[in-house]
Amino acid sequence: MRKRPGIGGLQTAAAARDQYRLLGENVAKIRTDLMKEQLTTFRSQLEDFARNHKNDIRKNPAFRSQFHEMCAKIGVDPLASNKGFWAELLGIGDFYYELGVQIVDICLATRSLNGGLINLQELCTLLCQRRKAARDFVSEDDCLRAISKLKVLGSGFEVISVGKKKLVRSVPTELNKDHNEILELAQAQGYVTVEEVERRFSWPSGRATDALETLLEEGLAMIDDGHRDCKRRYWFPCVSVSASA
Amino acid sequence: MQKLGDFKLPQFFNYPPYFTLQPVRDTREKQVQLWKELILDYCRNQKIFVIGIEEEFPLFTNQVIERFLSHEAKETFLSALVSEGRAEWMDKGHKRCLILWHRIQEWADIIMRFVKETGLEDSVMTIEEIRSGIESRGTELHGMDRTILTRALKLLEQKGKAAIFKGSSADDEGVKFSA
Repeated sequence: MRKRPGIGGLQTAAAARDQYRLLGENVAKIRTDLMKEQLTTFRSQLEDFARNHKNDIRKNPAFRSQFHEMCAKIGVDPLASNKGFWAELLGIGDFYYELGVQIVDICLATRSLNGGLINLQELCTLLCQRRKAARDFVSEDDCLRAISKLKVLGSGFEVISVGKKKLVRSVPTELNKDHNEILELAQAQGYVTVEEVERRFSWPSGRATDALETLLEEGLAMIDDGHRDCKRRYWFPCVSVSASA
Repeated sequence: MQKLGDFKLPQFFNYPPYFTLQPVRDTREKQVQLWKELILDYCRNQKIFVIGIEEEFPLFTNQVIERFLSHEAKETFLSALVSEGRAEWMDKGHKRCLILWHRIQEWADIIMRFVKETGLEDSVMTIEEIRSGIESRGTELHGMDRTILTRALKLLEQKGKAAIFKGSSADDEGVKFSA
């Protein structure tokens, strides 16, 4: 059928469009309402859960980490704000801010010993020593969370993975691939020699020396000329546990 | 934790690079700082007053990790103490070093406290008596180094709190305290 021309036809079309729009809006509103309702239910469930397991969340680091994982999956960040429900209910914000401050403290105190790169494990041990009075155990997961919050300050706190170990960096040193590989190699004995580095990575002479010199100047390495074989060893306090006390 | 006699050694003592002088300034500063503290602590704990740089000294060798300090390293650490007034070279060749875990002034204060507590004001003692007599037994003065003691007494003399008079030999140098 040929479309009817004229003003009547245009009006009908406009009316139909209005109807559709109205319908669409209705559907959207119903969906939003439903969504809001679900969210409210969900939130109250989550709150109930948190309230019921308040003590577990506070006291048990494994539980705490799982709780965080759950929150992350559904897009809730209990650390996002220090005000609001989570902080009030769990004091969880304060917990991590406190950890953050203590971590900064430890990193600064040990910086001259390790050049601003510290083993996560060791950081955690030192943190637990310092928090003895608080009597609650702090896991590596907690440290990582607290550090991720420190990033907001733009102070250059970062966790880097070297081999199997995680290191916390508190100085803006840029480590390139060569440096990382050396640090990884050093994890075995706590030190490396120029020869070892060259042999292991088949680097031309000079490349190893350059990288080691940089690490030395950054305060990440220390030389040791005292071994019987008279070969200079480069030690890395950040990968050998308990070098900094 | 490793020990030397009843002295607890710090952890850095077992970390080999601390036995090699570090070339990078910041690292070296920290290294020197740690060694200074260790030397003072150890000497205070073991009542050692003189370190001979060419003699055996338990602190400068670690058998466990097979490391020892070079002559240069020893001199660096001791010189750092000297520059802080916590030690003094006893000769121009820097072979013997007097360790002042109490500064001379502090020793003088300790002597005056001892004099007051034992009621020896206005009485005469020989220097040897202060070091090894019955009165000083159990105090820090007992067994203290003669050079340091004499220096502290001279300081007191300058301040008019003591008068030293020479005897016929070094053994009977005497001192009279005035309150």
